[in-house]
Amino acid sequence: MTAIAFLLVVLGSLAIASGQINPSLVNEKVERTIDLQSHLVKISSTITVKNTGSSAADSYHVALDPLFKGKLGFIGAKTKTEKGGDDEKNRLEVEQISVPSHKDYQFYRVKFSPALAAGASKTFILTSVYGHALTPHPAQISQKEKQLVIFDGNAYFFSPYKTTTQQTTLSLPSGKVESHTKVNPTNKKDKEIVYGEYSNVDAFKQEAIRAHYENNSPFLAVSSILRHVEVSHWGNIAIEETIDIYHHGAKLKGPFSRYDYQRAQDGYSSVKSFKTMLPAAARDVYYRDEIGNISTSNLLELEDQVELELRPRFPLFGGWKSHYTIGYNIPSYEYLYNKGNQYVLRMRLVDHIYDDQWVEQAMMYIILPEGASNIELSTPYPVQRSADQLHYTYLDTTGKPKLVLNVRDTVEQHIQELEVRYTFQRYALVRKPMILVAAFYLLFTFVIIVVRLDFTIQKDVAKESRMRVQSVLEEVQSLQDRRTALYQSYEDEINRYKQNKDQKIFLQKRKTIDDGYKDLDTKIVTLMSHVKAESVDDADRIQEINRTDQEIRNSLQGSIGLAEKLVAGKVNKQAYMDQETAAAAKRKEWIGKIDGILATF
Amino acid sequence: METEVLKHVEKVTSWLPRLSHDKRDTLLKFGVLAIAAVLSFATRLFSVLRFESVIHEFDPYFNYRTTRYLTENGFYQFHNWFDDRAWYPLGRIIGGTIYPGLMVTSAAFYHVMNYFNMTIDIRDVCVFLAPLFSSFTTIVTYHLAKELRDTASGLVAAALISVVPGYISRSVAGSYDNEGIAIFCMLLTYLMWIKAVKTGSIYYGTLCALAYFYMVSSWGGYVFLINLIPLHVLCLMITGRFSHKIYVAYSTVYCLGTVLSMQISFVGFQPVHTSEHMAALGVFGLCQIHSFVDYVRSKLSAEAFQKLFKTVVIAVAGVTLAIGTVLTVTGKVSPWTGRFYSLLDPSYAKNNIPIIASVSEHQPTAWSSFYFDLQMLVFMFPVGLYFCFKELTDANIFIIMYGVTSIYFAGVMVRLMLVLAPVMCILSGIGISATLQNFCRNMVQCSKEQKSTKKATDQSYPYKFEVSFSVVAILGLSLGLYGFHCVWVTAEAYSSPSIVLSARSGDGGRIIFDDFREAYYWLRQNTPEDAKVMSWWDYGYQITAMANRTILVDNNTWNNTHISRVGQAMSSTEDKAYEIMRELDVNYVLVIFGGLTGYSSDDINKFLWMVRIGGSTDRGSHIKENDYYTPQGEFRVDKQGSPVLLNCMMYKMCYYKFGQVYTEAGKPSGYDRVRNVEIGNKDFELDVLEEAYTTEHWLVRIYKVKDYENRGI
Repeated sequence: MTAIAFLLVVLGSLAIASGQINPSLVNEKVERTIDLQSHLVKISSTITVKNTGSSAADSYHVALDPLFKGKLGFIGAKTKTEKGGDDEKNRLEVEQISVPSHKDYQFYRVKFSPALAAGASKTFILTSVYGHALTPHPAQISQKEKQLVIFDGNAYFFSPYKTTTQQTTLSLPSGKVESHTKVNPTNKKDKEIVYGEYSNVDAFKQEAIRAHYENNSPFLAVSSILRHVEVSHWGNIAIEETIDIYHHGAKLKGPFSRYDYQRAQDGYSSVKSFKTMLPAAARDVYYRDEIGNISTSNLLELEDQVELELRPRFPLFGGWKSHYTIGYNIPSYEYLYNKGNQYVLRMRLVDHIYDDQWVEQAMMYIILPEGASNIELSTPYPVQRSADQLHYTYLDTTGKPKLVLNVRDTVEQHIQELEVRYTFQRYALVRKPMILVAAFYLLFTFVIIVVRLDFTIQKDVAKESRMRVQSVLEEVQSLQDRRTALYQSYEDEINRYKQNKDQKIFLQKRKTIDDGYKDLDTKIVTLMSHVKAESVDDADRIQEINRTDQEIRNSLQGSIGLAEKLVAGKVNKQAYMDQETAAAAKRKEWIGKIDGILATF
Repeated sequence: METEVLKHVEKVTSWLPRLSHDKRDTLLKFGVLAIAAVLSFATRLFSVLRFESVIHEFDPYFNYRTTRYLTENGFYQFHNWFDDRAWYPLGRIIGGTIYPGLMVTSAAFYHVMNYFNMTIDIRDVCVFLAPLFSSFTTIVTYHLAKELRDTASGLVAAALISVVPGYISRSVAGSYDNEGIAIFCMLLTYLMWIKAVKTGSIYYGTLCALAYFYMVSSWGGYVFLINLIPLHVLCLMITGRFSHKIYVAYSTVYCLGTVLSMQISFVGFQPVHTSEHMAALGVFGLCQIHSFVDYVRSKLSAEAFQKLFKTVVIAVAGVTLAIGTVLTVTGKVSPWTGRFYSLLDPSYAKNNIPIIASVSEHQPTAWSSFYFDLQMLVFMFPVGLYFCFKELTDANIFIIMYGVTSIYFAGVMVRLMLVLAPVMCILSGIGISATLQNFCRNMVQCSKEQKSTKKATDQSYPYKFEVSFSVVAILGLSLGLYGFHCVWVTAEAYSSPSIVLSARSGDGGRIIFDDFREAYYWLRQNTPEDAKVMSWWDYGYQITAMANRTILVDNNTWNNTHISRVGQAMSSTEDKAYEIMRELDVNYVLVIFGGLTGYSSDDINKFLWMVRIGGSTDRGSHIKENDYYTPQGEFRVDKQGSPVLLNCMMYKMCYYKFGQVYTEAGKPSGYDRVRNVEIGNKDFELDVLEEAYTTEHWLVRIYKVKDYENRGI
């Protein structure tokens, strides 16, 4: 339901407003530069407009030349200042409108703020970029031929207003021009053709011009790109772009000869490689296609960006296409901001693919973490947003919200930032680890149950008895370990007694140890009687341990007596030492024996 | 014996927390097994680490493609899949002509993982399936060797098989082939069979049949299995060890196993028709007769029994022979197929079926490759056999038979080394652990005696301690060397994906030749969707999988005449070839050429096989192998080469424009770096073809077949 509501909002914003052309505006002076050096047509017009009316004008209408219908990639305007610069505040808002009186033309409205007062004039720069506006002619060339293209344009600045003076400059990549239309005055300088200056041109006036010239710049176009942005709150944003690229220049006619390509270095219009700029923090970059890694790429880390030189598996000639995927990770702290549970993701909507890029169809998936809600999107230019979807990966349970955005015909100027605001509860972050913990817990519990419980139908008496004995033996083992520890306590006490010679404390200490000892003794004896019923052999082993223990005990008693004698001075130190060393060695041997028996349990 | 070994182990593990005997035992077993299993997985990852997660070789590409189809379209679509991308214009019924076990296994993994939203790519499942299954194999080997002898042998065998090169060669990451899982299935079946023989329980018999079913579904090598088990039973009968246990085990396994195996559509009715399966059926009958005879004997007097027995045996033998002959003659029982003959007689295929002989993995094994693939196992194998013979049991007889038969088959065909490797590991495991146990005991005894009496009392042979010590030391050393050897072989010989080649450049850096994918991707992107590509059959699977274009012949060499037709096109002159290519509706021709880089397994080196196969059918009878040799009987591409060769299609496609290229300093232009000669025919143009694409290092050359010329020009 919310999704539909969203859709309505988006569609609403895309609906075109209508407006009227203000008859009192006049183009006083227009200087137009048409850049034909790349495969795009980039028109930059410096327009000085004067308001001859009596009321202030708040907007200026731009009519799209019918020659370029459907080829427009970008249109933008900014106020011309002395200092120049591309300040945000110089930017003028441009939006598409319809004009009922001229239904056959497409209009854009440049908003003036403040409004242009009556009698005042203003200079601003209008920039527009068109794709597929150059036609290769001949349409097919062989490998060693150079590429010639035709530009069809208008000698006059196409405007709903009257233009007082104007001049148009075609800027070409080289001086090699086959032919060009002349509309006097026309001048051809080295790499430029200048039309004009013309004065007092009526509104909507057209005069076709054509330039046929050599252009070997890379005629690359991206027919579609799918951009995945996956945000993780563990500190990473993963970006993957799957790109279909093709060469839209003159098609290759005849054979492709590798020999000539390597030897003569021909194939002027072919594209060997191109550069993609990634964000400076990009790492783990990969470049591959359906059949694996493409091993021909170079990565150069610059200060403010990562330059990735991509070489398709094969050079792209006219009409050839390729398809590839690049992906990388960027740390999220540079793009993801939060205040409490409110998060803002601010990153590029589309990114750089190659210089002078022309992207016919771009689709963006923005995948937010599982549990993100109240998602709000704001984009720098209108974007078609489809209904949100859910994306399942990495043990997701409820799915990650996936925003689906679509935009057509984008160029470099569209590399701008979008903003996604959403709410995310922090504790949701530990949900997946908890799921894993729970899963392992269940697994172990299951194993414990299977191993510990007896699921057989038949009763295996011998096995059960063996298991019972085993558990008793383990108990004996731990009890004996404690008993062995007590031997050490005895010896410690004896040593202490020898030093401080305090009979009373010695007795006291011995008493406590004795108590513990007796306790252990009785326990072991009880256990032994249990075992006896099941396995005489094992009972004998315990018996053996007890016997040895008795020996150690006796030896310890002897040592105690000896120590008392030493303290009382009844025996000299040397004799004591001799006897005690012998006794200690003996005890050590016995303890070893006990350990040996325990090890066989 | 076991307890004694464990006593020594106790000394070693005294730093462990004190555990009861059982627990320690379990801990050690788990420890060793876990390490072996992890090792067997890890050691197979060289190629992924060096290159990338990519499918290798040729057949795996087909398996990968079918697996992807299965995951995308479901089992029924897969089962009924008619592939029009291969064998144009015949097509191929994929569902009915493959063993689907591998694909189903990967698809199952894929779907389970994705069900839990662990989004793993099907390609990665395929790449890592073989290493995963070798980990499983390690564990199964442990159990098998344990059944045969004891836990210690099991652990040694598991450790040995985890790195044995003979098995690694077919199961590195990316080598997505049937064998990868089939070895696991085979050992599992053997394990279950031995358990069934030991217990005589229907339960294990059924499990064995199920394991056998899995085996049948995954590899054609199941035929080995279904002959080995009956052979074992037969052997037990002859040695007088036949018992009710074996009767129950075999009857269950055979009946269930056969019915199950017939569910695989590629196998179909073969188990009751073809000669390969007849041994199993015969032994099954023999089992019944044996039991019946035993029963009769228990009811009759000895004399009467003898008389009856003789009469019946003669009668039955006569009738069987008669029926067998009739069935073979009428074709009910299919005649012995070529592959089967080539197993028995290594020279059979070479003399009769060029297409079988042309596959390098069907060649007889060289002696050196036994050592290369098995190293010390070659020596420890007889030791294991000795210990098995010393304590002959039903199970031991099985492993002896397995060992002996597989060593024969491995000698016949290189690829059957794979079947030999596990039994080598098991028998060597038994041999090593038994030897170590004996000599360790001697060593410990001696040292004890020396301690207590200072004088040796029981000396069955002089220098007992020293001898024992040196035996143990030598074994330890060779085990260590075995480890190093295996890792080295894996890293150097078996971990190249073969789709990407790499070489060292002059300055020590690595150059990657990625030409195959370059060409395939060019085909995929820049040719019409329905273009038909002609190439030698080796590259068929790769082209369909990577270029997604229709091909004429591929690695499933089921139609000899079709392949022969392609061979004829390659070995004819241009105008003859043009006729064939138009007839076959070919748009592009792809050849592999190594002359510029020195890649030796290119199409010129394979060319004689094309000539032979091309000339092996009626329509190609004009193609004679001898025409392609010089009068001295040499195959050479330089000026002295035979003119037929220098003007054939293949020569022209490989060397088109190559005559102008300088490949090596100090050599004339057109110097072929594989054959090390200057080519004989340099300046020629192609009339019916035009160069469509040649890769960066000229490894793959693609030509476009020109259309008919317009009339009147």
